Formats: sequence, C-alpha cells, structure tokens
Amino acid sequence: MRTRNVLVGSSLIALVAALGIAQQQLERTASAQSKAAVQAPRFEVDPMWPKPMPNHWLLGNTIGVGIDSRDHVYIIHRGATLEEKEVYASANPPASECCLPAPPVLEFDAEGNFVKGWGGPGAGYEWPASNHGITPDSKGNLWIGGNGASDNHILKFTRDGKFVKQFGFAWANSGSNDTWAFSRVAKVSLDEAANEAYVADGYGNKRVAVLDMETGKVKRFWGAYGNKPDDTNLGNYNPGAPPVQQFRNPVHCAEPSNDGNVYVCDRPNDRIQVFTKAGKFVKEAFVAKNTRGDGSVWDIAFSKDPQQKYMYMADGANEKIRVFDRESLTELTSFGDGGRQPGQFYAVHSIAVDSKGNLYTTETYRGQRLQKFVYKGLAPVTKQNQGTVWPTRTSTH
Amino acid sequence: MKRTPIIALAVLALLTASGAAQGPPTYRVAPLWPQPLPEHYVLGSVTGVAVDAQDHVWVTHRGADSLEGNEKGMMATPKTSVLCCTAAPFILEFDTAGKLLSHFGGPGQGYQWPQSPGSLTVDAKGNVWVAGAGLEPAPAGGRGRATGSNANPDGPEPAARGRGADAAAAPAAGRGRGPAAPAGPPDAHVLKFARDGKFLLQIGTPGKMEGPDSQTTLNRPAAVAVDAGANEVFVADSGNHRVVVFNSETGAYKRHWGAYGEKPTAAGGGAYDPNAAPARQFRDVTCIEIAKDGMVYVCDRTSNRIQVFQKDGKFVKEGIVSKNTMGATVSGQFGVVSSWGSAWDIAFSSDPQQRYVFVADGHDKKVIILQRDTMAEVGGFGAGGRLPGQFLAVGSIAVDSRGNAYTGEQHHGKRVQKWTPASGR
Repeated sequence: MRTRNVLVGSSLIALVAALGIAQQQLERTASAQSKAAVQAPRFEVDPMWPKPMPNHWLLGNTIGVGIDSRDHVYIIHRGATLEEKEVYASANPPASECCLPAPPVLEFDAEGNFVKGWGGPGAGYEWPASNHGITPDSKGNLWIGGNGASDNHILKFTRDGKFVKQFGFAWANSGSNDTWAFSRVAKVSLDEAANEAYVADGYGNKRVAVLDMETGKVKRFWGAYGNKPDDTNLGNYNPGAPPVQQFRNPVHCAEPSNDGNVYVCDRPNDRIQVFTKAGKFVKEAFVAKNTRGDGSVWDIAFSKDPQQKYMYMADGANEKIRVFDRESLTELTSFGDGGRQPGQFYAVHSIAVDSKGNLYTTETYRGQRLQKFVYKGLAPVTKQNQGTVWPTRTSTH
Repeated sequence: MKRTPIIALAVLALLTASGAAQGPPTYRVAPLWPQPLPEHYVLGSVTGVAVDAQDHVWVTHRGADSLEGNEKGMMATPKTSVLCCTAAPFILEFDTAGKLLSHFGGPGQGYQWPQSPGSLTVDAKGNVWVAGAGLEPAPAGGRGRATGSNANPDGPEPAARGRGADAAAAPAAGRGRGPAAPAGPPDAHVLKFARDGKFLLQIGTPGKMEGPDSQTTLNRPAAVAVDAGANEVFVADSGNHRVVVFNSETGAYKRHWGAYGEKPTAAGGGAYDPNAAPARQFRDVTCIEIAKDGMVYVCDRTSNRIQVFQKDGKFVKEGIVSKNTMGATVSGQFGVVSSWGSAWDIAFSSDPQQRYVFVADGHDKKVIILQRDTMAEVGGFGAGGRLPGQFLAVGSIAVDSRGNAYTGEQHHGKRVQKWTPASGR
C-alpha cells in the first residue's frame, strides 16, 4: 500500500491512541449526567446455558460458532479430539454408558435446548479432516471451513445437514496467489448484499480471499497492508521486531462491517487489520503485543446496533473477551480469565452475537465448551479487566 | 432472576433415579463455586478434596505438570501471555462460600514434595495430610503392580494427545503439550503439615519401596485417614495392596492388612475379571475413610469394590459398585488406556448415622450413592461433560457438616464443584 509507511509502527499507535482519546472526550460530552468517561456493553455469563445434550454426547475442540436469523446457535467441533477416557461408550464393546463424541455440527435454540446434530463424511463432498468455523447465511445454509493438512476447501450445507456445494478440493492448493483454491480455511464470513464471501485463508495461505457466493470464483484477494500475499515463512512472531508486512498463519477471521470495511484477525501477529472491501488497507491495531505463540486476535464479532459501534474480540491466548470501540479500535474493557468454571476460558476460539446482543463463545484445546454471555446493556467502564463475569444477583445454592 | 427454576430443571435432568420421599438425598450443583481464583491461578488435575472441622474445603491438585503449555503461558520462558495463566499453589483452603482463604505446598525444607499428590485429609487437630501418589506409568522400582491397576489415572499422556489440534500451524511455543513427568524418585510417602503449611512429619521415602511387609516404606500411597482419638494414621498404600497404620505423631509402624484382612502380597489381585471369584488381594487401594461407628472403609478401585474393616483390620463386609466396569479394556491409536474401575473415592453423608456412602466413579463420570448398611446403590448425581453439574474423571469427594458435597476432577476435568442438598432432608 502506498500509505503504509506513515501508518505503521509507533506513529500508528499514536494515531490509535489519539483517536481513542478523542472518542473518550466525545463520550464525556455526550453523557453529561455520568461521571464515567466511557460506556461499554456489559455481559454476564449464564452458567446453566446450554442445557445438557442427549445421548451422553461430549464436545471436542469447539472450533466455530454462528447464529442464524432465528437466534439458533450453531457450533462445530471435533469429536476425534476427545480422549478415550472421555468416550468409553465408543469402545467396542462399550466400556461405559458415558460418553460419546457428539456429531460435528450441533444446533441449539436460544434457550439452550439441543435441536439437532449432524455432520461428517458423506457422498458428494469431502468432510474436512479438521473442521474449522461455521457461518449461517440468511437463507438457512451453513458455511464450513477446515484447517487439516488436506483441507483446502469450503463446504455449504443446509442447516439440516443436506449437502449443497463444495468450493475447492481437499489436497489441492497452490499458494496464496491462486485464484481458485484455498489452503486450510479458518472461517467464512458473508456479505450477502454483494453476494460475496470473505474467507480467512487461513492456516496454509496468508491472505483474505473474496468469493462469489454462488460460483465460488475468487474475485480478489490480498495480504497484510493490502500487499500481494507472499508465502515465505516468517518464523516465529517477535514482539520486539518491526511489524511484518505479511500475515502470519493463521489468518483467523475476515469480517465485513456494515460501513464497508473488512476486519481481519492476524492472530499470531497480535493485530487486527482493517481494509476496504476492495482490499485497500485502512488501519490496524495491536492487541496484547507481547503475546507469543498462538497470538491474541482469534475471532471478532460486531455489536448488534446498526452502527456496529462495538467490536468483541476473542483472545484465546490471554483468555479474555476484549470490547473495542470499533471506529477507533480502542479497547474499552475486557472480561474473562483462564479456568474451567462458568465465564472462564481455556482457549476461547470463536465468538458470535445474537439479535439481542448476547455473546456466545466456543473453546478449543481442552476448553471444549459453548458458553453464553447475556447482554446487560451499556454500563460505565469501571475496570479495564473485569475478570470472570458472574451474574450479579445470584446465590450459589 | 429466573435462575432458580433453570437450575432446578437442570438438576432434574442430572439426577438419576432417586426414589420417593424416603429415598436418599438428592443434589443440585452450585455452578458458581468456588469463587474465581486470584493471580490468574488455574487448577491442574484435582486429586484430593477434604472438609475440615470448620467446614472449610481443602483441595490439592497436580499443578503445572498436569497443565498443558497453552494454559500456563505465564509460566513459559519467555512468557507467551502475561495475563493467563499460572498453576495455583498445590494446597488450597476455601471457606463454605468458595472464597480462597489460604494456600501452600511445593518443595521445602525437611521433606520431599510428591511428584504427584494423591488425596488429602485434614485431621481433627487441623493438620493437613497429603499422600504422595506418584505418576504413571509405574516406576521401575514399583513392585507388584497388577496389569491395568493404576494408582493415579491422570498420569502423563502422549504429547500428541495434549497438543491442541487447532495449533497445527502455530509456533511451537503456543502449543499445549501433555504434561511431562518431573525428574526424581517415585513417590512412596505421606506428608503431614500444620494448616498454615508448616511441615510436621513425613512417613516413607520417595524411591524406597520394600514391599507389602515393610514397616517403614510405602508404595505410591493414594489416601490417608486419621483416627485422632487413637493417634493413628491409616494409609491406603496402593502400590503395596494394603492398609497400613502408623502413629500419627511419630510415624511409628503399628499394623497392616490386605483385602479381607489377609496378608497382602506384592502381586496384588491381578487383572480384573467380573466373572471370576473376587480376588483375595487388593488391586489398588485408592481411598480410606473412618466412619463415626469406627468402621474403616477402603476403595479397591479396579476391583469395583469397597471393603469394610474394624480398625484392627478384621474384615467386616464388602460392597460391589458397578461390577462390570473393566480395567484396561480400551485400546486404540495411543495404546491401551487403563480403565480404573468404579470406586475412586468415598464420603459419608452428614447425618449422625451416616446412612449413605457417596462414591466418586471417575470411570462412569458420576457420583453413586449407596445405602451404607446394605451397600446397595440407591441414587446418584452427575453425568459426563464440562458444564456445571457434569464430570470428567471425578476422583474425589467430601461432605461438610451441612450435607454439601464437594467433588474434584482429574484428567481434563480439573475442577472442584459444590453440590447442595436439593430437598429439605
């Protein structure tokens, strides 16, 4: 990009900070009656959501969540990641009633009732070796990626599990500048008005790819800062080094916003980059820059107001949900902590918002849960890090 | 809040058949207990839960070696995260509301901290006893292990299993790995601390295992019970297939016995076969509890049974729990996985008669309630899973004076959960 040299590095950080201060001052003026500088959406975990699944089913790495127009919650997980001591019922003969891997795709209603489960290999398509990401469209279909070594394709099913279409093929890819194949897709996000799908591509490629939703043809693609993607191995992330000019694997989300931008999770680089839908770099923000390994920017979702004023980010390395002012990319507050209790996370991987503004998260690794965080309205920010957000009025018995 | 009916519904779903008004106690989970830990502490595999005379809840766990790399980023060099997480101290004390009151544990002067703590207990004087249960697989020095027997089911697993599959393309630093066994001699001892963590007594020596006739050595003991009136400590000496009793102040040997009160052998009970006659030897002894009436209850986990003795070792009776639970029947990509039987730990109900025995069954991932006089199964709670009220490998249980139950989970469970009586019993 032409302008990137002025935007990268400390000058960008200064710009983001300045924008943040401007935003805070704006909020101060706007809410004269409140002494608090900033308001942000507040959430509380619902510890008893979802309800237990039938059939002694367990979740493996839970690697995607999406909400449809009926506020039904779809998740995708990997039953094969459960250990034998967790799934004795799948031994032959069964070694216990408990337990079995649930089918890969699971649907819950807004109350947390289990509705339907399906998925896995079938005729006419290649089920991913390692499924990854699930996105409902408005017509009742679900879009599924995969990050296994052979997963270079995208699948589309009806929400009832009927195969519709496959884009790309397993085992076939030729790098980040290819116009028809993908490499280990993390997530598909949709701009249905434009009939376009934004592909976080992914664990193999280092790019955002935009598809025609009907034909699957790659219409355009780009790398970090809008650069031509380059698959050179960048080595491990080093927080002390200048920002690299390419994405690192995995490119973990690519979310179009209502105002015509695309927000990209450059996970191991601890940054979110914003582009126009044409791929022109707009801005970036770094998040917990000292996070090594998996990185901090795992997945994002926007708030449900028409302006999408807030952006929610799942940070599965630091086990938090971060709440941003979307326009300024200023982090307002965060919640969550590591652990296995309600409202805590182990590798919070995916995030989605329903029509009421409630948040849903899934955890991979050994977290292996779906959790719901109830939207409690806007509240003054009193803590940068809220920790575990339990219901305020509750008893433990 | 509409929480109460929601919880009640969930509890209904969780409870197994429990009889009518005269039946055993029914329980519902308290999903928000304990309170979040400070300092970004996370629990490893929980191997022991105990309640003291003040109804405080004591927990021990295996700490960092049972946590995977990507959940202890604050312990990595360099840190992969400055925010999450670090292993909690090995021994934690909570009040009944779930607030962390104190903690201690780890290596110190005058004693050898276990490679892997087993169960813990708090005696009437408030002293905290921890068994050094040891890691699996059985160390070479460990004699007489029956195939399929397993003193600590949460032993190290193949590294590939512990790695998060999502991390396929992530730098190695971020990958979770199966816990690595710390170096050092295998556990063969029990430790006694004051409740503030001051070391008081060690019985046995890591790496020194001299078989089931030894009066000074142990072999990966799993649990401890204390008879304060008699100044005696009863040790579930798992690797020696015996119960052994010492003076709880001096550590001096007093007596020991095997299954049915007979002389224990190094060979133990051998492989479990539900159709064979009950073994005359223990396979593994994973729990020991003394009832108010003076009876000593012992879990022979892989044998799916609980044996009851007088304090002098005279056999009284036994109860069988889920007889068909098999050991070492499951094999696959990662080799034979030990299956550990049904009777992992027990606790007595809080009524004066202690009418019920709660059995933590980490194999079937539930708590089974037995009627103590008949040892018949009369109820239970829990089911497999990671939600509140569900279990993975539930391996420890304790009950407080008000009837609340506390459970601890090994393997990937790594939780302590509180259960409250659901009715006004």
